[in-house]
Amino acid sequence: MGALDAVALAGAATVALGGLLAATSGGLRCGLAVQATGMALLGFDGIAVLTGGDALGAAFRSTIAPALGLDPLSGFFLAVLALTAVPTLVFARDYLPASPGARGVGTLTAAFLLALVGVLTARDVTSFLAFWELMTLIPAAAILVARRDQAVRSAVYAYLAITHLGGAGVWIALLTLAHHGALGDPSALAAAGGGAQTLVALTALIGFGTKAGFIPLHAWLPRAHPVAPAHLSALMSGMMIKVALYGLIRVEFQWLGATPRWLGLALLAVGLLSSLGGVLWALVQHDLKRLLAYHSIENVGIIALGLGASLLFADAGKTTWAAIAFAAALLHVANHAIFKALLFLGAGTLERAVGSLDLDHLGGLLRRMPWAGGAFLIGAMAIAGLPPLNGFASEWLVLQSLLHVAFYRPLGVALAGALALAGLAATAALALLCFAKVVGLVLLGRPRRAECAAAVEPPIGMRAGMLALAAMCVALGLVPGLVLPTLTALAPGAHGAVLARHAGLVLPGTGSFPSLTLALALAVLTTLLIAVRGKRRAAATATWACGQPVVAALDWTSAGFTKPLRLVLEALLRPRRAIEVKRDGAIVQSISYTGHVPSLLDAALYEPIARAGLRAAAVARRLQSGNVRTYAAYLLGLVIALLVLARSGVLG
Amino acid sequence: MNALAGIVQIAGVVLAPLLTGSIQTLKARLQGRRGPSALQPYRTLRRLWRKSAVDPEGTGVIYRLAPPLVAACMLVALAIVPVGGRGGGFGLGNDALVLVGLLALARFALAAAAWDTGSGFALMASARELMISVFGEALLVLALLLAALPAHSTGLQAMSAAAAGGHIWSAPAHWCGALAFALVILVETGRQPIDNPDTHLELTMIHEGPLLEYGGRDLALLQWAAAARHWVVLVLGAELFLPHTGGFAASLGLLAAGVAVLCGSLALVETAQAKMRILRVPALVGVGCAIALAGAGMWVGGIGT
Repeated sequence: MGALDAVALAGAATVALGGLLAATSGGLRCGLAVQATGMALLGFDGIAVLTGGDALGAAFRSTIAPALGLDPLSGFFLAVLALTAVPTLVFARDYLPASPGARGVGTLTAAFLLALVGVLTARDVTSFLAFWELMTLIPAAAILVARRDQAVRSAVYAYLAITHLGGAGVWIALLTLAHHGALGDPSALAAAGGGAQTLVALTALIGFGTKAGFIPLHAWLPRAHPVAPAHLSALMSGMMIKVALYGLIRVEFQWLGATPRWLGLALLAVGLLSSLGGVLWALVQHDLKRLLAYHSIENVGIIALGLGASLLFADAGKTTWAAIAFAAALLHVANHAIFKALLFLGAGTLERAVGSLDLDHLGGLLRRMPWAGGAFLIGAMAIAGLPPLNGFASEWLVLQSLLHVAFYRPLGVALAGALALAGLAATAALALLCFAKVVGLVLLGRPRRAECAAAVEPPIGMRAGMLALAAMCVALGLVPGLVLPTLTALAPGAHGAVLARHAGLVLPGTGSFPSLTLALALAVLTTLLIAVRGKRRAAATATWACGQPVVAALDWTSAGFTKPLRLVLEALLRPRRAIEVKRDGAIVQSISYTGHVPSLLDAALYEPIARAGLRAAAVARRLQSGNVRTYAAYLLGLVIALLVLARSGVLG
Repeated sequence: MNALAGIVQIAGVVLAPLLTGSIQTLKARLQGRRGPSALQPYRTLRRLWRKSAVDPEGTGVIYRLAPPLVAACMLVALAIVPVGGRGGGFGLGNDALVLVGLLALARFALAAAAWDTGSGFALMASARELMISVFGEALLVLALLLAALPAHSTGLQAMSAAAAGGHIWSAPAHWCGALAFALVILVETGRQPIDNPDTHLELTMIHEGPLLEYGGRDLALLQWAAAARHWVVLVLGAELFLPHTGGFAASLGLLAAGVAVLCGSLALVETAQAKMRILRVPALVGVGCAIALAGAGMWVGGIGT
């Protein structure tokens, strides 16, 4: 057994130990620290395998004997998991003890992390499916331990129902692969023929896509992610949906034995739908955590766009760009895991500080919580895709990939690339609009409630966790080029180094993006201009409101800021509003306004399905009369039927 | 030659206000007024530089940081956009999509500053600007795609070189690109029929709205940035979609002529065309997107190439 194997086992054992410790009375903080240590060990292993290129443990096999192992692709996901989990656990040390059901949640956190690690390291179909199911079930249990109200229960039920229905696709895909002996052997499925390949490709897309949150299979995500405790929301949105993408990449890119063009186009379509749909419905949310959950759908869509572009390049024989697009998707996996974890931790901090996440009731928090607020600001700018942060680097890469797809024939593929390019650009602009709103409503301006005015910085552990993630956002934004060649080497069909290592992103067929120089130039020029502007002579005045006094009723709201867009897209978003005017005689006493934007797919897709399901259940219930004699008749009928079948030889 | 190109790029810092000034002068002449001199923006900047700033109550670091940051974004953008098909080699690359990112950063900084003031007028304008930018950004990348298709690259210098000469004009895709970019210019510079830069009514402002609370040197920086935005998109339009040659000196001359023509056209459009209803803008930009997509289809389909 090599040293790295020992580190991996020690890491997993440490996480498990941390989980047990968390359950003991008074051992919660210590247990979470031990879990963080274990995850750090596992992350070290992941990075070692990713950069070293040698696999650990078993290779993929189609037998049902359990086997674990680690190869560079798993190593990458494991490293990203550790990079987000360690700061999240540090955060949880100060966050969790004050939550309800803290010890139970602490233990389940360790179990959840081990399940995630298990999916990434499973090398056979049984352990993969076992860990896969655990990964789905454990967060549901943790949410129910932490919160017991009816709304949460119904959210968890929707989560389990949708992910299990869609998750059947994972079972079909993997069992079919195992049946053909194709786990880890792309030639086996190719030999099995086009029918099996199409079946596996489609079921994997549906199965893993449900768990990843692709529209239209996303309905569970904005329900389940917001109700979890902050650190679990961070892990779920940051990593759980990424592990689903890991499964998707394994099946579609490594085991399929072909790169069908329709699959590339399907990924582009799903990606476009998810990114635009995710960000559009994120815009009209009023609850910060729900808004963030919708943005996870958007970002998963961006990753799907990169993956789709990669398949189309591979189909066209452009191996360099196939590798770049693949690496772009992986880089966005890492980036989104980091900034989404940061934002969810930030949301948890804000909720703790001011007691509500209703966007219209926050404000002015940057001044009162400069560290936590500053970290949140960096996360928001990163997810909005602004240079020089990490979100821009990977979005730039995905945009470049789509733009280059449009260079090559056939015409349909080129047009799909152009359309996806325009869609992604619009998505980026929508994300900017959304996070300008979030930053403005949460961090800037005047506090809108007394609690916001009295907010103070969270404890050191919570700040440290967020700042570590913010530092990663900046670092990956400054030098994405150091990571990119390692990721291109993971692409199927990439042999050797595709790209040279630079600090910035220097690619063929682009004007190149020297991120470090650009960031330095921006920083130096801004500083210079501040110096030129000189010592500030400023008159303090009230904000201009046509000479009226500035009162709280004039505060701009979330709905107000998105109003132009809602008006323009009214046909699509279908906002509902109700204005209630209370009169006493002819005198208006009060006017109350409520408005919301229902989810279009919920109304058009899920509600009819749920109604049909309930109707079918009502029909089936007629069999259950509750009368003993009826059941005896059923039994008699069954026995006679069996006798008839046995007599006629059908049962053998 | 690259050094000379670098000098012209840096000269853009000084020359940019001349563009907005000359558009105003031309427009006044077209409307039968005498109007201000083309140098008026410089006088305005000098006047603003001497005045003290304004700090609305409750504003913080974001409000103060926004003007220098916006101006810095524009300075970097000036260094990225090539002149005469070349750049000064500042080590910042010359990628078209990086330029899109820089414009987005400037937009975000202004929107955040608007939120920091909490001013209803600033936020109303900011919300509108960001709404238009959703459609504008899609149009911008599609127009850039059309310029990138002949070059097989998103490097602005390569794109400019590929559009040099008369041959490119036989491809209908180039005409589509030029048309789409004309719309981009209207959107990005905030001119009629999208926005009215001369308005003094807070309710109708789009680009000017977030500047409403600023004064003194802050406002000077932001007004310079608005002028620099004109320089960036007009020079880019001339470099990618107006006739030019492969030679540097001739290209530079044609660039000057091209920018002058674009300024004249903007003045003409502002005179002839009233501001349109804001909710109609997305449809207009959408038509531009459709034209650009059709152009991309024609290029990849091999029509006229």
